Amino acid sequence: MSPGRHALVAVLAWAVLSAIGVFLVLGMQIMPQIASHEAEIENNAFVLLTAVSVPVLMFVVVGIVYSALYFRAGPDTADGPPTQASSRLQAAWLIVTTLMVIGLFVYGTFGLIEIRGAQESTFEVEVHAKQWSWEFDYDDAGFAANELHIPVDQRVHLIINSNDAIHSLWLPALGIKQDAVPGRPTEAYVTATQLGTYNVLCAELCGFGHTIMTSSVVVSTQAELDAWMQQQQEAASP
Amino acid sequence: MTSDVTASHGTLGHVEEDPAEARDRMLLGVKLGIVSEVMLFGALFAAYFVVRSESPDWPPGGELERPELLLPGLNTLLLVSSSVTMQLAIWATRASDRARMMRWLYSTIVLGGIFLLIQMYEFATNGFGLADGVFGSTFYTLTGFHGAHVLVGLLLIAIVTNRARRGYVSADRETALESVSYYWHFVDVVWLFLFSTLYVL
Amino acid sequence: MMRSAPVQAVWRPGFTRAIVGGALGFAIGGGAMAVLGVLGVGVKPGHILGVGYLGTLFGFLLGIGAFRFWLTWMIGREIDADEEHESHGKAGDWKRYFRFTTDHKVIGVQYLVTAFLLFFTAGMAAMFMRFELAQPGVATDKDLYNIIMSTHGAMMITVALISVIGGLGNYLVPIMVGTRDMAFPKANALSYWLLPIPLLFVAINPLLGGFDSGWTAYPPLSQQANLGQQAYLMAFVTIGASSILSAVNFLVTVFRMRAPGMSLMRMPIFVWALTVTATLVLIATSVVAGAMTMLLFDRLIGTSFFRVKGGGDVILFQHLFWFYSHPAVYIMAVPGLGAILEIVPVFARKPLFAYPLAVFSFIAIGVLSFMVWAHHMFVSGMATFFHIPIMFTTELISVPTGLVFFSAIGTLWMGRIRFKVPMLWVYGFLWAFVIGGITGVFLADVPTDITLSDSYFVVAHFHYTIIGSTIYGLFAGTYFWFPKITGRMYSERLGRLHFWWFTIAFNLTFLPMFWLGIQGMRRRVADYPADLGGVNLFVSIMAVNIALSVAVFAFNMIRSWRGKRVAMADNPWDAQTLEWICTSPPPIENFAHIPTVTSAPYEYGTPPMSAPPVPAGGRPQP
Repeated sequence: MSPGRHALVAVLAWAVLSAIGVFLVLGMQIMPQIASHEAEIENNAFVLLTAVSVPVLMFVVVGIVYSALYFRAGPDTADGPPTQASSRLQAAWLIVTTLMVIGLFVYGTFGLIEIRGAQESTFEVEVHAKQWSWEFDYDDAGFAANELHIPVDQRVHLIINSNDAIHSLWLPALGIKQDAVPGRPTEAYVTATQLGTYNVLCAELCGFGHTIMTSSVVVSTQAELDAWMQQQQEAASP
Repeated sequence: MTSDVTASHGTLGHVEEDPAEARDRMLLGVKLGIVSEVMLFGALFAAYFVVRSESPDWPPGGELERPELLLPGLNTLLLVSSSVTMQLAIWATRASDRARMMRWLYSTIVLGGIFLLIQMYEFATNGFGLADGVFGSTFYTLTGFHGAHVLVGLLLIAIVTNRARRGYVSADRETALESVSYYWHFVDVVWLFLFSTLYVL
Repeated sequence: MMRSAPVQAVWRPGFTRAIVGGALGFAIGGGAMAVLGVLGVGVKPGHILGVGYLGTLFGFLLGIGAFRFWLTWMIGREIDADEEHESHGKAGDWKRYFRFTTDHKVIGVQYLVTAFLLFFTAGMAAMFMRFELAQPGVATDKDLYNIIMSTHGAMMITVALISVIGGLGNYLVPIMVGTRDMAFPKANALSYWLLPIPLLFVAINPLLGGFDSGWTAYPPLSQQANLGQQAYLMAFVTIGASSILSAVNFLVTVFRMRAPGMSLMRMPIFVWALTVTATLVLIATSVVAGAMTMLLFDRLIGTSFFRVKGGGDVILFQHLFWFYSHPAVYIMAVPGLGAILEIVPVFARKPLFAYPLAVFSFIAIGVLSFMVWAHHMFVSGMATFFHIPIMFTTELISVPTGLVFFSAIGTLWMGRIRFKVPMLWVYGFLWAFVIGGITGVFLADVPTDITLSDSYFVVAHFHYTIIGSTIYGLFAGTYFWFPKITGRMYSERLGRLHFWWFTIAFNLTFLPMFWLGIQGMRRRVADYPADLGGVNLFVSIMAVNIALSVAVFAFNMIRSWRGKRVAMADNPWDAQTLEWICTSPPPIENFAHIPTVTSAPYEYGTPPMSAPPVPAGGRPQP
């Protein structure tokens, strides 16, 4: 086969495999649970990145398989043709890959600003991480709890701190992770969209009890939340 | 055509080495080593700038006092002078003026030695220590690392001076001397940065 | 009066004297501190360990004779030329591998063997980890798990940092550029001998209480932790010093000692890769040495760099640590990439595709590597605005990294590929490194990183990238250059067995970890949710297979090296870099006559091809 023919077959194989792969990927849900606005943005990012990864992976796969099948050495000891990269090919490669990066970057920046940018909130909880448990302080209401309760469909502001080691507040279903750093409070914003109870984990090694440093986050309606808060207040100050 | 064996880059005893190339390699090696040392001080300075910029006042808490400028200022003059005398020693060596070479080398050691003595006195009378929060930590770590480099530098200068005294240093055999001079100038430049940031600014 | 052999061994510079020196050094250093403590000075166990460690290190180095030349020079005595000359050792004398030998080929083998031994040890630690992780719940002890995990990390990082550049690089670079040794042979030997003591302390750190912080050693946890943490920090700084010394050697050798005719753009791509790597080592390593020193000071002498109470900043450590440690992963990867790109043309029988662009890609990777460190800190509480440029530079680094694939696959294209064992590893690299690279983009993108940070996705990513580049490059290079170094040929059959077994096991071990990470399995913990037990058991079983395949490799190497000598051509691969015009193994002085170079070593497919291939990198010996 002539070089041109080889190139055509290889490019076709790449195009077909990539198309199939992208088609399979779009519409997938990659994150196991999506219970917040932020988690939804993140899942979209996952899907986009996976879709973009497919043609990249297929390029290498086709390179591997095609060369192993068609460019094996014959019984003679002849060398291959001394081909070199044309400047056009090099320029094209550089331009395409750089544009892909820029595209991903722009998309990621929008997502980042949406998730992390300073925003208004209607509900605030202080999260106090310590070796080895979580404490959620509802200071305005005058009590602390060991479970996080937040209202659904409202932007919640979490202020996170620690006095001992570095911990990390991870709410997997809500797509939130932020370290708790001694010496400076950090913050996160979350807008939960699904009612339910989800895991709270510590995501930064903090010593012996890192494994057991878990809790729950309960996303409830405003009414349920009010009732729970009232209950907690009464228990705190009899 | 193969290259002349005598000009080959031999590091084995029986192969002749071109002394100019060997000198060139050594000096390049020393310069690269200094790059690495610059990065070490870079990390220490970075730490200083970060903690200082995060503190509303300096020293934080307002209890400690920043050291006065007299002694460190004097030290700056001493160290800069010692770099001058070091360079004069180099030039004297190249001019094959043995007497002056020795004189300037001894002067460099003396000036550097007085620098260290004054610094130790300053440390003793500063009124704060290593364990006094970030202020003490950054101050003493930076000046301490620098002082250690000065000490090593003085030792190196003393070694080369001793070799010079025994006749092993001359106009075409001064690689070690020149290497040490690079190191010494570097130590001086670091001090200038130290003086400006730790004491003045 | 004749001294008996053991007594001679203690008096003569060498390994025995080094061990004695090390032990004495520890006794003197640690003892002095202990005495001070008894006298009432506030001495902590850490001080005893610290000064004891320094004593051990210097005692060992004095014992092996590392400072003999310099000390003689310093007190103003003349050097004995014959003794100098003997320092490169005698060919065939196995004892020179246990001495302060200045021949770069000996040092290269020392590094290579040490790296492999460390690799096996760290692999055993991984077996313990996978045993624990085979089932949910904590079967052994969760703190012991973290200690072993941290030791596994510390050792493997060291292997990745020193194996290709220290082992293959030291052996090959002087020969590849056409000279007789490195620029500073004694410093080269010192670089190697700086390693045994810190590696010993890393290996025994569990006995000192271990450290559970992982190799990243973040304070405040690392300030609270016990002596094992300190052993690790001191070892890290020492290994860093060894690397910096080695980097200076590489750079001066490459820039000042190339054979006539070898312009920079005629250098083998492997040499370019190591040059970039050495530059990264030179610039970045001191920064982490500074960070580790500050941490040691916080632990031992009361400073407050990272202590909140004293006004210190915990995140400062992360910035300083990662400013080195991100370039560090390229220090690990780039030598492997260089080895791979060096090997592809030989077995594809084609010039390296886009060689200048490949050179550019290594330089670009090196430069960009200094601008991305904070992507390890996206959830650290760092200012949000800073995430944006870091996300950009991190994603951008995939462009030069992609060029490596462009070059490799372009070389394969229309080639006449011979699938010898080194080439199999090249193919394995292509698959593993593209997976590693793609998954890196998921971590570079902040929205996805929020879920993935500190999860098993990260573990899978870095194993794919580092094993893909460093370990595949190391295996490819070891097989490829085995005939040159030993003068013998390894077993192709065992080599193929090793490759397939390793590759299948490695992929089946780490591919599921991407999924596990997305499902929420955290890293650095001995336990995980019960529903992930089945996959973890599978992963553990596959991991054992990795170890078994590596045992095949070790057996192949030892048997092939020690076995009967079979006639073999000096250049069994018909390769064109300069080491292939030497005998196998090369003589001590590498070349009888320094060759003159007329082209880059990639003249495959260029006529004439009638006679036995004349290596275009050099001329046949007269």
